[in-house]
Amino acid sequence: MENLLKVNNLTKKFGGLTAVNDVSLDVNIGEVVGLLGDNGAGKSTLIKMVSGVYKPDEGEIFFNGQRVDFATPRQARDIGIETIYQDLALAENLDVGSNIFLGREILRSYLGGLIHTVDRNKMREEAVKALDRLNIRLDSLTQQVLNLSGGQRQAVAIARSIYWNAKLMIMDEPTAALGVSEQRKVLRLVKTLRDQGVPVILISHNMQDVFAVATRIIVLRRGKKVGERMVNQTTPDEIVSLMVGADEALESSIDLNSTDPD
Amino acid sequence: MEVEEKKAGPTSHQDPQHPKGKPDRVSRLVFIRKIWAWAFLAALVIGFSIASKKVNDIDFISLRSVMGILTYTSQILLIGLGETLIIIVAGIDLSAGWVLGFSSVVGATVMQTLFAKGFSPIVVVSAGMLSGILVAIIPGVINGLLIARVKVPPFISTLGMGVLIEGVALLISGGYPVVNQPPYLGMIGNSSVLYYWPDHGFSFFGYPELAAQADIPNILVILPTVVLVTMIVTAIVWFVLAKTQFGQHLYAIGGNMEGAIRAGIPVQRTLIKVYALAAVLSGVGGVLWSTRFSSGAYNAGETTTLNAIAAVVIGGASLYGGEGTIMGTVVGALILATIQYGLVLLGVVPFWQFVAVGIVVIVAVIVDQFGRALGK
Repeated sequence: MENLLKVNNLTKKFGGLTAVNDVSLDVNIGEVVGLLGDNGAGKSTLIKMVSGVYKPDEGEIFFNGQRVDFATPRQARDIGIETIYQDLALAENLDVGSNIFLGREILRSYLGGLIHTVDRNKMREEAVKALDRLNIRLDSLTQQVLNLSGGQRQAVAIARSIYWNAKLMIMDEPTAALGVSEQRKVLRLVKTLRDQGVPVILISHNMQDVFAVATRIIVLRRGKKVGERMVNQTTPDEIVSLMVGADEALESSIDLNSTDPD
Repeated sequence: MEVEEKKAGPTSHQDPQHPKGKPDRVSRLVFIRKIWAWAFLAALVIGFSIASKKVNDIDFISLRSVMGILTYTSQILLIGLGETLIIIVAGIDLSAGWVLGFSSVVGATVMQTLFAKGFSPIVVVSAGMLSGILVAIIPGVINGLLIARVKVPPFISTLGMGVLIEGVALLISGGYPVVNQPPYLGMIGNSSVLYYWPDHGFSFFGYPELAAQADIPNILVILPTVVLVTMIVTAIVWFVLAKTQFGQHLYAIGGNMEGAIRAGIPVQRTLIKVYALAAVLSGVGGVLWSTRFSSGAYNAGETTTLNAIAAVVIGGASLYGGEGTIMGTVVGALILATIQYGLVLLGVVPFWQFVAVGIVVIVAVIVDQFGRALGK
């Protein structure tokens, strides 16, 4: 089977610093890939190349078998690579429908297209459909997102991506700011996405989260891919030792002088 | 949020029971914040009714009072409409009142010149009005460019623009009121759409022809033209804010500017547009001022800026952006105008107006903060 996302030998340098060094990875439909690494390991830089924020210095990205070369994050999103950052990018003063259609509002025209109004009812109906697809239930769709819990907001952000035909979801620390029960709900959403054919790249510090939902784990350290394991063939201990580089523990005291970007 | 197991399937999203209690409290809160300004306005009217009956035996509630208050309201409201849009995008426009004065000076100067050269009334008035309104776009667009592109904080850029445009208006007018206006100008500005002469009937846009000077006090003035223009402009701005994509984008920008940018909303363009639109509304205010007072004056809107911002805040807008409605601003402007009119009617030293308006603004902010604290 063809990989949905295939990344070959990506390298990104900032000045003299190699943030990502010759990293390859692939993501297939039906998978949740956990991307792990200490601060400054290059996770964010890698992800930003895939989502079009940074241009790689070397290497290539294939999506759906096509070579892609993004000039802007918008281009990545247009072909179906959605990134949900920690801040979610929701307008909390607006309701769920307005957020799902943020910047892409459904309009109604009057007087032969002379006047356009925002069709809030239609947006709400469509929001229901998007949420249904993820089996999410909200008490009220008319209230401001401000009044929703952290997990519900995650759900709205995910539903928005799904509605706009996300084919690959990149989630950056989705459970970081949440309470325990909310964390579980968000993880269940990640599984729902996977089951519906939208693979997820999950960036997290939380080993438990990753082991709960991921099928495969990729570990980065100082810009390099240092390990790739199937979840059912590894242990948290092994992953941690890959992350901190137990085998290179002796060297680390010397390397403290070099600063890595995050 | 319920993330159900797959087999459960989707169910209704509307749950009238509010099982968590939170939405209930939230909706009550929203209700209080919506209603308090109206309740306050009603209390003001009742208070002034009792006071004016006791003090000078006048009925406060009368057609004359209503029209007087609406006329007072019009200038605050015209500026307040623009401030509402700007405050929703977490900005502020401190130049609005000075742009109003600038527009009145430019419009009045054009009319003065054309009238002196013997142009027909239609040419004089329409050229004067158009030039007064259009010239306001210049400071508005510069405000927008400074804020959206150069990222100057709105407070600073509009403060600077206010002082600058005050100077320009002073230079144009030499510091004097721009008088020698055509005689028909004041007739337009002080006319009413409708008059009612008891026992004689209605007339439009002018006192009944048969009426003698002595009859005029008996004729009821219904809907001054200035009030009608303000109502129409208010309706248009309400529509733009509440119904159009532009209005929706204003709320989105005010709610989360970074999110709006990522969602592909043309944030810079929208900001420039909103400052330009607010300036045009100031221009309309300036031109109306000129027609009412047959003049142009650099300081025609001197106190209007802060009154208008006060009206917006009383109306429930948040200075942090993302919240505010035209109806709220209408109530806020009505409250301020009622205070002004009521105090004049009672014969109170006019300086008390400032004290009263200041108190109301502070109360409004306290109510807002209190409401927010409850909402958490």
